[in-house]
Amino acid sequence: MEAAAIPAAVAHDDHHHGPPEAHHSSKVEREQLGILLFIISELMLFGAFFAAMFFIRVVAGDEWPPKGDLPIAVAATNAAVLLSSSVTMHWTDISARRNNQFGMRAGIITTFLLGATFLFVQINEYLHLGFTPKTNASASAFFGLTGLHGAHVVIGLLLLFMSAVRIFKGAVDPKNLKGLEVAGIYWHFVDVMWIVVFTTVYILG
Amino acid sequence: MAAKLRAPGWYRAALFIVLGIAFAIALLTSLRAAFDVSPVYYGDGVLQVALLTVPLWFLGGMGCFDYWLRWASGKHVVDDHKDHGAHTWKDYFKVNTDHKVIGIQYICVSVFFMFVGGLMAMLVRAELASPGRQFVDASTYNGLFSAHATFLIFLFVIPVFAGIANYVLPLMIGAPDMAFPRLNALSFWMLPAAGVMFLLGFVAPGGTFASGWTAYAPLSTSAPIGQTFFTIGVQFAGASSIATALNFLVTIITMRAPGMTFFRMPLLVWANFSTSLLVVIATPFIAASQFMVLLDRALGFNFFNYANGGDVLMYQHVFWFYSHPAVYIMMLPGFGIISEILAVKSRKPVFGYRMMAFSLLAIVVLGFTVWAHHMFVSGMQDWIRIPMMITTALIAIPTGIKIFSWLGTLWQGVLHMDTPMLFAIGFLTMFTLGGISGVMLAMVPLDIHVSDTYFIVAHIHYVLFGGSLLTIFAGIYYWFPKMTGRMYNEKLGRLHFWLTFVFFNITFAPMHLIGVQGMPRRVYDYADQFATWNLIISVSSFALGLSSLIFLYNMISSWRSGPRAVANPWRALTIEWQVSSPPPIFNFDAIPSVVGGPYEYGVPGAVHAVFPTAEPPPVPAGTESAAGGTATAVLEKEE
Amino acid sequence: MLVVVVLVASAIGIALGLAINWFPAQGSTIASDIDTFWDVLVIASVPIFVLVTTVVLFAVWRWRMRPGEEDLDGPPTHGSTRLEVIWTAVPTIIIAGLCAYATVLLLDIQESPAKGTRVVNVTGQQFAWTFETQEGAKKLRSNVLVLPVGEAVQFKVRSKDVLHDFWVPEWRLKVDAVPGITTQYSLTPSKTGKFQVVCAELCGLGHAFMRQFVTVVQPAAYKAWVLKQSAPAAVAGGGAGGGAGAKPDGKQLFVAGNTQTGATACGSCHILAAAGTTGQTGPNLDTALKADDAAAIKEMIVDPGKEIAAGYGANIMPPNYAQTLSAAEVDALVSFIDQSVHGGK
Ligand code: HEA
Ligand code: HEA
Ligand code: HEC
Ligand code: CUA
Ligand SMILES: [Cu+2]
Repeated sequence: MEAAAIPAAVAHDDHHHGPPEAHHSSKVEREQLGILLFIISELMLFGAFFAAMFFIRVVAGDEWPPKGDLPIAVAATNAAVLLSSSVTMHWTDISARRNNQFGMRAGIITTFLLGATFLFVQINEYLHLGFTPKTNASASAFFGLTGLHGAHVVIGLLLLFMSAVRIFKGAVDPKNLKGLEVAGIYWHFVDVMWIVVFTTVYILG
Repeated sequence: MAAKLRAPGWYRAALFIVLGIAFAIALLTSLRAAFDVSPVYYGDGVLQVALLTVPLWFLGGMGCFDYWLRWASGKHVVDDHKDHGAHTWKDYFKVNTDHKVIGIQYICVSVFFMFVGGLMAMLVRAELASPGRQFVDASTYNGLFSAHATFLIFLFVIPVFAGIANYVLPLMIGAPDMAFPRLNALSFWMLPAAGVMFLLGFVAPGGTFASGWTAYAPLSTSAPIGQTFFTIGVQFAGASSIATALNFLVTIITMRAPGMTFFRMPLLVWANFSTSLLVVIATPFIAASQFMVLLDRALGFNFFNYANGGDVLMYQHVFWFYSHPAVYIMMLPGFGIISEILAVKSRKPVFGYRMMAFSLLAIVVLGFTVWAHHMFVSGMQDWIRIPMMITTALIAIPTGIKIFSWLGTLWQGVLHMDTPMLFAIGFLTMFTLGGISGVMLAMVPLDIHVSDTYFIVAHIHYVLFGGSLLTIFAGIYYWFPKMTGRMYNEKLGRLHFWLTFVFFNITFAPMHLIGVQGMPRRVYDYADQFATWNLIISVSSFALGLSSLIFLYNMISSWRSGPRAVANPWRALTIEWQVSSPPPIFNFDAIPSVVGGPYEYGVPGAVHAVFPTAEPPPVPAGTESAAGGTATAVLEKEE
Repeated sequence: MLVVVVLVASAIGIALGLAINWFPAQGSTIASDIDTFWDVLVIASVPIFVLVTTVVLFAVWRWRMRPGEEDLDGPPTHGSTRLEVIWTAVPTIIIAGLCAYATVLLLDIQESPAKGTRVVNVTGQQFAWTFETQEGAKKLRSNVLVLPVGEAVQFKVRSKDVLHDFWVPEWRLKVDAVPGITTQYSLTPSKTGKFQVVCAELCGLGHAFMRQFVTVVQPAAYKAWVLKQSAPAAVAGGGAGGGAGAKPDGKQLFVAGNTQTGATACGSCHILAAAGTTGQTGPNLDTALKADDAAAIKEMIVDPGKEIAAGYGANIMPPNYAQTLSAAEVDALVSFIDQSVHGGK
């Protein structure tokens, strides 16, 4: 893998088969670092919406919660659902590393279903809240944050779906893990983010 | 034809755009029908959905997603590198994964947008040539300066730096390509999409976006539909810049050649490392600010609706939390370019290399703590002003370290006063002036008077034109031989510099004065007392605009028929100059090893990198080849 | 030698910087402090710029590559800790000094006004200012700001629609008018005369015209003005030009507006051949009003929001002509427009 290993005789030409292998100057994998940086970026996006909520609730002093009580119980259940999906995601990861086909398949499917359940409950909650984004600024902040998180769940589900397809086609094994790992890291991020959103939106208030 | 429509490329992209528009209409109309909203067909709504989704269809049509989709569907994919490298000029119009091709695509497209934005400045100046209304009305005028700034910031300065770095950075650190070549291609192709969107704004009913490049709410939330072209266009420009920054960071961290420690990296790499940190952390904030505007506009959210509990100032906080760092995003890569050029052209090591690197990081950190200096008169809480004034002024210190270190680099050197060098030292003086006016603005008591006047416009252009643009010109001239394999015309280059330098100053220096005297910005009509200066400014700005045509001519004619360039015309040590001009399709046959600092000019026998190959690498003209039959060739030897 | 050049050039630069007449007249008590602060900034900045420029020019002059030196390199100097400490420390000191000065000055400016200060409520809307104040039992509301010289005044600034910015260049202070909150600043006018009130924050199509006037008068004259103001509801024309006797000139009003009261010129937005105006922000009145009679035209001027001409945005035409123009002026304007459009029938 080191540069020196490439035959010195390779001529200086445009026709040979591909680029030289890049030197690995860090222990971190490219894909992992990439998804990590992406998550930092995502955190900042959430940060901006948290800032918006802060300004609306604290600085402008709009009433909170937007109208009546927020369904904390539903949201807490949903948090449990999402957290357990993190556990199953982890199980999927480990199974993949051990090349346990059954574990991978069952893991990814339960994770996906748990995620979808979350989304379903969330949408259902939206419909029964008794207020809409148009109600007032607090409501906008509420929908802004939970909606942003919901959008991330959708993206996460998309990644899980791709991973599922690949697992069922047998494209994932201990040597081809990166795709699954990246989807997994992202999914854990989405889950942890819900805890933060849940705490600030539903509990502190 | 059918085959053409199936294969990635322009035909399929055109087809997909049509499909995308149909999809937008179908989606919104069926949703409205399902929820019983009338009217079922709602033009503005369709337009907004289309603006959000059609670019994705376009990108899909061009083939940006093909590989990933194949991979995601579980197919076995091998990278055959068939999209890598340009063999004919046509390859520049396709999705390509070669960082060198993408770099050139970036540079050409963003220079095109520079002319678009510059043309708008010409129209602005024509309107301002004398008081009263000349030939555009208020709506067009406001649209012109908004689009002027939007094009030059989001589609010129930010991407052109990304383009230059795309080309040279992987070469500099000894990487065969960027870390994620396909993401790199995607980043590039988002730009034309954003550009077309900004341009289409001009045909929107009610005029284009006209609330400045800052798009303050609630003006932007109550503006005609043209505003959406900004709101959504910025999302694509922003996504492009985040993706590129992420790519740079991963490339720099994981793909450096053996021996390339952080403190052996050329300062351009350091500069882009710092810039990318800024982009990854800050850019989501402008995305968020525009999402909120979009939600307010399209779905009746109340983020900025004060009557319903919204907070108008929140927009400015969120916007400037990105847009102040953005001004350093538009300057730090330029700092990198200047460090490269000054070292090579003065034949001396960069003075105080480590402090140069640390001051970049200091600017990054400080850059996040100063956003409210744009809000000194915004009516925010008074107590924020003093801390923000202090942090803002503190930035002068790391920036000063850089300026003085560059002076130290010049000192006692052997100064090759050619075009890149002229632009570099032009930058040194002009940016200092712009930076100093920035420090004056940081002083709240003065800013209260001059905020929102032409003094600000003067500052903007001294830092962005005298700062960013001069470094961009310097960089383009400097790497032109490497990128095209040809030399530019030196005489025209110098002429371009002198005309630019002189007319730049005549154009923008008087703005300081009329600003302090009380001429507000963003007006198309002004008091008669400012008439003389404005006429002088306008006339000079036309000359400035014309001078850029010399640049264009020089670039085009030299690219087509300039004399062939040797591999290392500047006798530089950094790695990009140690390969042929233009570099081989995969950059290196084998990854070089780095054995010393990048700027050891004047140190006898100093070498930055060595290539593990039997064949001697291209050797700078006039220099003896030191490569014997050994497996390791010494690349360049300084006497 | 370099030092001498820098010193001399700095001296010349500073002299030049101080000689230029930068600011408009000083109209408030803090204006002179801010102008002095500017001078200090000039004195601090010019030498920095001159130093950088001189070193660059000197280096180019002294060490430019001469024929025969093509292959030479400079000395491999990597840095100098001493120099680096100096050029970190000196700017730090300068910055610290300037910040300290600015802080003191700012606190001075922000200091809350003395008790009993006059409060003026300033309200911005697209594209006009309204000023309200209380004098004894009298509530005064007008479109021209009248203030007695030498008496502290606090402005409470509000907005009805988008951001505006309340700025009188001669006073040196400005603050945004922000919908939803009240912003403020206080000062003491120190110079009598008539100054422009400028809207300094982009607020839409009429931003460039959002200009009104403040008249600073002697306290006695101010008292007289207050006395002259009629009952609370009525709006003061602010001693409108020409006095009550003279008949207002419709054409003059159309072309130039009433600068006394802040009535923006119609011609800046409308084409009207008879007045020779070419503004295109609003409809072309020559063609648009063909079918309208005088009463309808009056309605459109006094209450422009009632009906919006097709193809134009709402809230562009100032809604305050009923206040900024006296009844006689509106009538003069209407009859002038009516005659111009319908050929004097
Ligand atoms: C490339 C872009 C760029 C850069 C690099 C900067 C750099 C700086 N800017 Fe600027 N700025 C803009 C682009 C930029 N700016 C734009 C576009 C706007 C307007 C936005 C809008 O409203 O549309 C703006 C507006 C702006 C404002 C708001 C004004 C207002 O709207 O009221 C302020 C206020 O503090 C400010 C300050 C500064 C400072 C202190 C620096 C510093 O970083 C400068 C530091 C550099 C130096 C000081 C020179 C070198 C130093 C020395 C030689 C050492 C010794 C010096 C001293 C001791 C003074 N800028
Ligand atoms: C990189 C950034 C950048 C650059 C390069 C420029 C370049 C120029 N800018 Fe711009 N400008 C901004 C960033 C920039 N500007 C920003 C951020 C604002 C604030 C906007 C806001 O308020 O929201 C602004 C605002 C601004 C204003 C204030 C408008 C107002 O407040 O009402 C003015 C007015 O003179 C102006 C003028 C110019 C001119 C004359 C040039 C010249 O340098 C342009 C030179 C021309 C070219 C480089 C190419 C064009 C030439 C041709 C197409 C061929 C020749 C044609 C003819 C001669 C007719 N700019
Ligand atoms: C800042 C710009 C501006 C100024 C100043 C202005 N107008 Fe207008 N005017 C408009 C716009 C925009 C419209 C169209 C929207 C509307 O109907 O409100 C309009 C509409 C009108 C109309 C109705 C035209 C129609 O077709 O229905 C009349 C009449 C009119 N203006 C007269 C005047 C007069 C008289 C003045 C001066 C006293 C004046 N305007 C000042 C912008 C302006
Ligand atoms: Cu009101 Cu500008
Ligand atoms: Cu800033």
